[in-house]
Amino acid sequence: MDDVLFQLTALFHVLVFPGFVFLVLVALFAEWVDRMLYARLQNRIGPPWFQPFADFLKLVAKQEIVPELADKGMFKLTPLVALASVVTALLYIPLWSHDALFAFPGDVIVVMYLLTIPTVTFFLGGWYSRSMFSMIGAARTLMQLFAYEIPLFLSILAPALLANTWSLTAMSHYYAAHPAYAAFNVIGFCVALVALLGKLERVPFDSPEAETEIVAGAFTEYSGRRLAFFRLAISIEMIVGASLLAAVFLPFGLGLGSVAGFVLYLVKVFAIVAVLTLMRTLFARLRIDQMINFCWKIGAPVAFVQLLIDLIAKGALGV
Amino acid sequence: MADEQTLQVQLVEKFPFLHEKVRIQRVRRMYAAVPAENIAEVFDHVVKEMKFSILCAITGLDQGETLGLQYHLARVSGEILTLLISVPRQQPVVRSVTPYFPAADVYEREVVDLLGFQVQGLVPGNRYPLPDGWPAGQYPLRKDWKADSLKQGGGKKNEVADG
Amino acid sequence: MADRRRVNIPFGPQHPALKEPESFLLTLGGEKILAAGVRLGYNHRGIEKACEERTYIQDLYLVERVCGICSHSHSTCFVQAVEEIAGLQIPKRAVYLRTLIAELERIHSHLLWLGVAGHEVGFDTLLMYTWRDREVVMDLLAALTGNRVNYGMNTIGGVRRDITPEQAGQILTAMDVLEERTRYYIGVVTEETTLINRLSNVGKLSYDDAVHLGAVGPTARASGVDRDVRRDDPYAAYEDVSFKVITDTHCDVYGRAVVRVLELMEAYSIVRQLLKKLPDGPVTVKAPRKIPAGEAVGRYEAPRGENVHYVKANGTDKPERVKVRAPTLANVQVVAHMLKDGYLADMPIVVAAIDPCFSCTDRLIAVAHAEPRPPETLTWDELRTYGIDWYRKRGVDFTHLNRTFGNGAT
Repeated sequence: MDDVLFQLTALFHVLVFPGFVFLVLVALFAEWVDRMLYARLQNRIGPPWFQPFADFLKLVAKQEIVPELADKGMFKLTPLVALASVVTALLYIPLWSHDALFAFPGDVIVVMYLLTIPTVTFFLGGWYSRSMFSMIGAARTLMQLFAYEIPLFLSILAPALLANTWSLTAMSHYYAAHPAYAAFNVIGFCVALVALLGKLERVPFDSPEAETEIVAGAFTEYSGRRLAFFRLAISIEMIVGASLLAAVFLPFGLGLGSVAGFVLYLVKVFAIVAVLTLMRTLFARLRIDQMINFCWKIGAPVAFVQLLIDLIAKGALGV
Repeated sequence: MADEQTLQVQLVEKFPFLHEKVRIQRVRRMYAAVPAENIAEVFDHVVKEMKFSILCAITGLDQGETLGLQYHLARVSGEILTLLISVPRQQPVVRSVTPYFPAADVYEREVVDLLGFQVQGLVPGNRYPLPDGWPAGQYPLRKDWKADSLKQGGGKKNEVADG
Repeated sequence: MADRRRVNIPFGPQHPALKEPESFLLTLGGEKILAAGVRLGYNHRGIEKACEERTYIQDLYLVERVCGICSHSHSTCFVQAVEEIAGLQIPKRAVYLRTLIAELERIHSHLLWLGVAGHEVGFDTLLMYTWRDREVVMDLLAALTGNRVNYGMNTIGGVRRDITPEQAGQILTAMDVLEERTRYYIGVVTEETTLINRLSNVGKLSYDDAVHLGAVGPTARASGVDRDVRRDDPYAAYEDVSFKVITDTHCDVYGRAVVRVLELMEAYSIVRQLLKKLPDGPVTVKAPRKIPAGEAVGRYEAPRGENVHYVKANGTDKPERVKVRAPTLANVQVVAHMLKDGYLADMPIVVAAIDPCFSCTDRLIAVAHAEPRPPETLTWDELRTYGIDWYRKRGVDFTHLNRTFGNGAT
């Protein structure tokens, strides 16, 4: 009996709260916050709150076209894989309590890889579309992946090193016990924010889908339902990425209880979304070569510095 | 700055056959009708020696018996000299000026397409400005051309060779 | 797929980066452009032929529609040529007003360009800001001429509307606002790092190439070519005002941006001088309906560069020949040259950097059918009838207006 109950609860967690349904709602709301803030910063009025929902519904209802030359299986499968992987990643991230829904030693690595899968699906979806623009976009997506992944991994792993664990839940417990230690990781936070921009393919790192150059990059041939899923996956990825950053770098107030903790969680996530929006407002798009240069010459070394700081701190504090 | 008179005198001194063919319309505007067989040397001299180093445009004209071609050449200081040549309507052959002005390419393609000039020395390329499927022998800017002549199936429905 | 390292991609005729149909065929090696071919002529409207079949006054409105952005430059260029043939002396006030509108048009065009340039490099904030500020001058133009574009200000023998002292005051206020905003944009263009990264060393055009390939306008001036028709071949009221011809030696897109923002500052100064010196008097003289035989070449420094019109009159009320050379045509060769050896990512901004504006010359529209049927050709009248029927089916009918005003055009 207990077993069945556990499984039902798990299913509820995965599908409804804080799983899929919750994520979709928060992600679409975050998309609105992003678009609204972007518009206000640009002196525009911006869309009404239900616009992302309306866009999603409209896309779902639209006719879907699969290019004749495309690899049908890959073309149809990739959006679902992208969506599934980002939703799964959230289950291992502590949101508003110290414990994530599921945890095991090493889950931080799993989360990082689960967050890489969408990017790989963008590549595969674009590549198997067999359109020139899609293929160029796909190639750029992959190039960009190699550029930001190293700084992102380094900056997330450094705090884990200090906490002496590979589990996000354990990290959260550790930093709850030593809140001041989070201050060591400020540099990593900045690097991770920038890398997250690259992961989300947002200005200034949106050259994989730069519309003025290659139409929509990897998504050029996508339409209707599958495009809606891709877009939803990106919106959810933004929330999951922000949650990950919040869990790793802002581990405060996790013991406040459900309601206050939940509100604080949303504040953290939307603060990160706001920072991402601000960056998108401020910069022009970098060329792919400039982006790679930036990540390797500035992002990666700075992330290494973060790693060094944590190593030294670890030695000095004797933990 | 009686530059125009000086230029006029220079031009007539160098090419006596241009006597009374060079006209000053107003300040900075000069026109010269050049015999078609002499255009190469006049053009060369005007561009290289007299510093008419800007090609503003090439205008094709339908003059009835003949087709006219005008080169509007300008100096940096603002004077424009328009050289007019006339060639027979049946055989409107001119030489390309792209060796002097690479930008003349589009202007020359335009007179090829719209007036039916044959420009020697124009490298093959995309046609301009008419579409690829435009029927041969239809030159819209000729005075005897009417839009209806397309309807009546006049002209062959195949592509015009480039150049 | 003989050689996977070289791919050809079609860029246009329909593409998000292009506002008008034109086509570039790019040969790519990775992200690098190895060769670029330009194909023009998708937008033929047969304006030159159409001009020969209409009266001078009708032509004036037709050539104004050659371009949607620099409409005043085409109509002014045309009307100046016609007035030269007719030997008309235009009242000083009309000349000043023409110049005034020309400079206001330059302001709106350059602000528009700055926004488009921002958009092409993914800097949409700049687009939103400049286009918001552009509204100031658009509103001004609407107040002065009755329209935001296609002002219809010119007529043969002068201008159609005068301005009031209150409007002059409004213009001066607007110039102050815009000047302050432009100072900010100069800062953005010259200091914002990502923007500079995207503009510098992109679309290189050396001085020699600019001269050799016949570049015009800001494109040429950014390569150090000190040419400006307003100074070299003054028309309208440009002899009476003082202004600097802005040049730059960066020879890249950054230089072109700098030239345009600095030209904005010059335009504000010209507008102020014009209003200060604005003479009193009539704004039009009576023009004959039939223009005596003759010919004239008109030049005009449009926002995009030198605009050339050639008009030949034959003594009737219709011109013998009208030739339009829009500035973009002169810059097309330059684009293909600048694209070569650049990056694909820079393609939109390089094309945008000449501020392209494609307008051409034919009066037919070919309708290609998806099925293998011979292409159908519509003549002007058929197109007109088609348009009238299309609207009539939807309840819009102007036939009674035609009857009311009895202009005979059925």
